[in-house]
Amino acid sequence: MLYLLAGGGLLSFNTGFAIWIAISLVVFLLIMMKYAMPPIMAALEGRETRIRESLEAAEVALAKAEAISKDNEKALREAEQTAHQIRKDAKEEAERIRGERVAKAKDEAEQIIEQAKVDIEQEKQSALLALRQEVAHLAITSASMILDVELDEEKNKKLVDNYINNLSKN
Amino acid sequence: MTKYFTFLSLLIVVLFLGQPTVLAADAETESESPIDIMGTVADHDYFTFFGTKLYLPRLFLWQDDNGSTQFSTYGSTKKALASGEFQQVDYIITPVNGSMLIDFSLTSHLLYFWFGLGALALFTMYAGSRYKKGIGASTAPQGALQNLFEIFYEFIRDEVAKPNIEGDKYKKYVPYLFTMFMSIAFMNSFGLLPWAATATADITVTAVLALFTFFVTQFSGTKDHWQHVFWFPGVPLGVKFLMIPVELIGLLTKPFALAIRLFANMMSGKIMIIAILGLIFIFNDMYGSAAAYSVSILSVAMTSILYVLKLFVALLQAYIFTLLSAVFIGMAAEEHEHDHEHDDHIHAEPSV
Repeated sequence: MLYLLAGGGLLSFNTGFAIWIAISLVVFLLIMMKYAMPPIMAALEGRETRIRESLEAAEVALAKAEAISKDNEKALREAEQTAHQIRKDAKEEAERIRGERVAKAKDEAEQIIEQAKVDIEQEKQSALLALRQEVAHLAITSASMILDVELDEEKNKKLVDNYINNLSKN
Repeated sequence: MTKYFTFLSLLIVVLFLGQPTVLAADAETESESPIDIMGTVADHDYFTFFGTKLYLPRLFLWQDDNGSTQFSTYGSTKKALASGEFQQVDYIITPVNGSMLIDFSLTSHLLYFWFGLGALALFTMYAGSRYKKGIGASTAPQGALQNLFEIFYEFIRDEVAKPNIEGDKYKKYVPYLFTMFMSIAFMNSFGLLPWAATATADITVTAVLALFTFFVTQFSGTKDHWQHVFWFPGVPLGVKFLMIPVELIGLLTKPFALAIRLFANMMSGKIMIIAILGLIFIFNDMYGSAAAYSVSILSVAMTSILYVLKLFVALLQAYIFTLLSAVFIGMAAEEHEHDHEHDDHIHAEPSV
């Protein structure tokens, strides 16, 4: 109880002590506000600004990179499409050329075959003609040898020809 | 870094190595009670250092019977009494011939107040030297201490100052709020040491701290702030006059509440711990040592829990003091733009 009454009591305001506290606090606050804190505040604020700016710059760069990569992708897709088209075209062209070649070769072959047929026909005709003349000649010779008549050659030939012609028709 | 760390650890070692003499009955006081609660929480003219009492100088501003003002200094209370010019009546030192004007004596609470400021000064200087070297300014902060400093600083700046003080004004108040928070936190934490004194458990200290917030608040008051005090907008003329004393009382109750809240919280924690531990000694006196041993189990367990609570309260009260300071400053520094807002404010108020 004595302390409650005394100068250093629990609830009493001690003027001299308060003046000490006030003076110390004023001096300390002035030092802190003038000298100690500002450089720290400036350093921290500078760091925060720098970090914020770096983050913003990074975001911008990222957006740019994303745009570029999107462009690249688009270009790649276009190139792929073009390549695909070119390949398709080339295939079609090749198909067409091949078809043409085949058709041409077929035509040529047919032509050759046709020609051969014609040649064969011609050869056959000439062979037949030669054979007919030979047969006629042989017949005339053999007949003249056998008959030995005075039939002139002109009449004999006509006779034999008629005979042969009738023969071949049958 | 090592320089500041050495300083800081030296300070802590000095504070820790003192002997806990607070609980034992002090032979000098010749108290009847086995524990001395008041003697523990009250201010003293000595400082416990390595278990010994270092008596602090006494400085008196007094007026003698002739009416002339005198200033006397003595190395200790004993020397002051031995000089014959002063006498001690019920623990109060008074001049033999004359009256005391102001007692400027150094006390244990004043020393712990200075320790609090000193610890903060070392902490800030250490952090400042790091930032000057570029550590933390251009690179990431390094080391536990610097990170701890940043945690506290950014907490005060971003959680206390910024949300409560509008616009860019808050930057001006960050050093003040940071200093208040950290010094109160250091003083509260030093008070956790059993042999130390809690400077903030002294109504004088908390009153001066609250007065500082009061003055900072009033000096940052805008025209709107003063208009609200002396000529309340948006109410009839008669009510305007009625509002003046109400508002003036409102101005004064804020620092009063700040001072009482911090003081009572720090004081009550200290008294509770001493009282609970004191039960051991009281039981020893009343029922013998067996009872004392059994009650000590409960007492020590409760003290441990209370210590955790006190550690939390030490930081919490520093935070509350700073937060309310920021709120008061923010309210005074606020600038209203439209008058009809006040009308809304008035109409809305009765329903709240």
